[in-house]
Amino acid sequence: MAALYSDTLLDHFRHPRNYGTLPGPTISFESFNPLCGDRIRMEVKLQDTMVQEARFKGDACAISTAAASLLTELIIGADLEEVSAISDERLISALESDIKPSRRQCALLPLEALRAGLRNYGR
Amino acid sequence: MEELFEDIEKLARAEKRVAMATLVATRGTSPKREGAKMWVGEEGRILGSVTIGGCVDARVIAESEKVLSSFKPQLVEMKLADEDAWEIGFSCAGDLDVLIEPLDLSSPKDNVLDLYRAVRAAVDNGKHAVLVTPLKESSFKLLVLEGGEISGTLGAPELDREAQTVALELVRKRTSCTVSLADSTAVFFEVHGPPPTLIVFGAGHVAMPLISLAHDLGLKTVVVDGRPRFATRERFPDVDELLIGIPSEIAETLAYTSSTFVVLTAHDYKYDLPVLRVVLPAKPAYVGLLGSERRGKAIKEFLKDGGMDESLLDQLHVPTGLDIGADTASEIALSILAEAVAIKSGRQVAFLKDRK
Repeated sequence: MAALYSDTLLDHFRHPRNYGTLPGPTISFESFNPLCGDRIRMEVKLQDTMVQEARFKGDACAISTAAASLLTELIIGADLEEVSAISDERLISALESDIKPSRRQCALLPLEALRAGLRNYGR
Repeated sequence: MEELFEDIEKLARAEKRVAMATLVATRGTSPKREGAKMWVGEEGRILGSVTIGGCVDARVIAESEKVLSSFKPQLVEMKLADEDAWEIGFSCAGDLDVLIEPLDLSSPKDNVLDLYRAVRAAVDNGKHAVLVTPLKESSFKLLVLEGGEISGTLGAPELDREAQTVALELVRKRTSCTVSLADSTAVFFEVHGPPPTLIVFGAGHVAMPLISLAHDLGLKTVVVDGRPRFATRERFPDVDELLIGIPSEIAETLAYTSSTFVVLTAHDYKYDLPVLRVVLPAKPAYVGLLGSERRGKAIKEFLKDGGMDESLLDQLHVPTGLDIGADTASEIALSILAEAVAIKSGRQVAFLKDRK
């Protein structure tokens, strides 16, 4: 596993940051992979248009878990516009690992949940 | 236990007068435990069994017919020495006491049906209930609910109070048995409670026969998975509850008792690790994990590194199941449930023929 995954990825998998739930989140959305069963819920608390707090919860593989943990770090303190602009590649590069095409879905699951939550919030 | 309630209702629809035979005491070996019941109807219907059939049940049926004729309860003591046991074909040399009570299911004065309905209501609510019957005066009955509430009487308030204390203690032990109260009155305490529950995390192919078999064994069954495509009623027609969501989050909402079996069949660390972090500290009767010894070792190491106490890790059965050469999913399910039942019963697994 060490050869495949970076220390950053492994650290965020073993010690996920911002894991848990928020009381009264402004945005909450759960996404899952229907075949492998990864399931991640992203929660965000906004102050005006700024992300004041972010949490995630889920049972997911190392890549998904680490990506969710890193994503919370990327968005806390950011403006909604900046959050919406986070690209797939930015999150994947934050994992500092060679994510194979077959595992991109794992890495992007938390971002998919966050984007869906933002869409719901914007309605 | 479900069987008992169904038998009573079935008989109440078809028979007026029935004899209820209850195994109230055993000494030596016995194929059934105290509380086993057999019903013999006036019209000839027979439901249940106090042994495993054969000559002893035949004798109970004959005695029940006598009880129905006289309409007086009788305590039948079957003292089976080895020789007697051999002669009457009873395979186990044990002594049994069977209380046979005549009931008129059509009479409003006969409240046994109502008492069993009250017991069933408590059990359906996830509570225990104890029906208390003096062996010599079985027309007196006391019902003790898990919260301590009582109804009925044994004939004297002090007996009721003592019986209430004993009943609550036996609820804790989940055991039906005969107890001599302070005034030497021999009283049978019939403990009823919710059926054991099997919670399966992972709705894969092994989970399917596991749930079917558990259902046939009378267990309440729950399947948890994050994948709606797998956790379907079509794949699990017998399951009592299908729960879809984040498995470890669902695990936090479930109750774990000394009658709860948990089996993790996902064969995927992303479910196994977080669910085990919740389930092992809750100390259910059994926790089994599908996987090889090598995989089990890795999972345990990971949990240990995360701070889990080694004594909790020792409770994890991995690989799960008995070594019966299981190959197919159904055989694996059988081996898992056999192990779970043995653990709950505190038995060392061996061939019965080799048991000393």
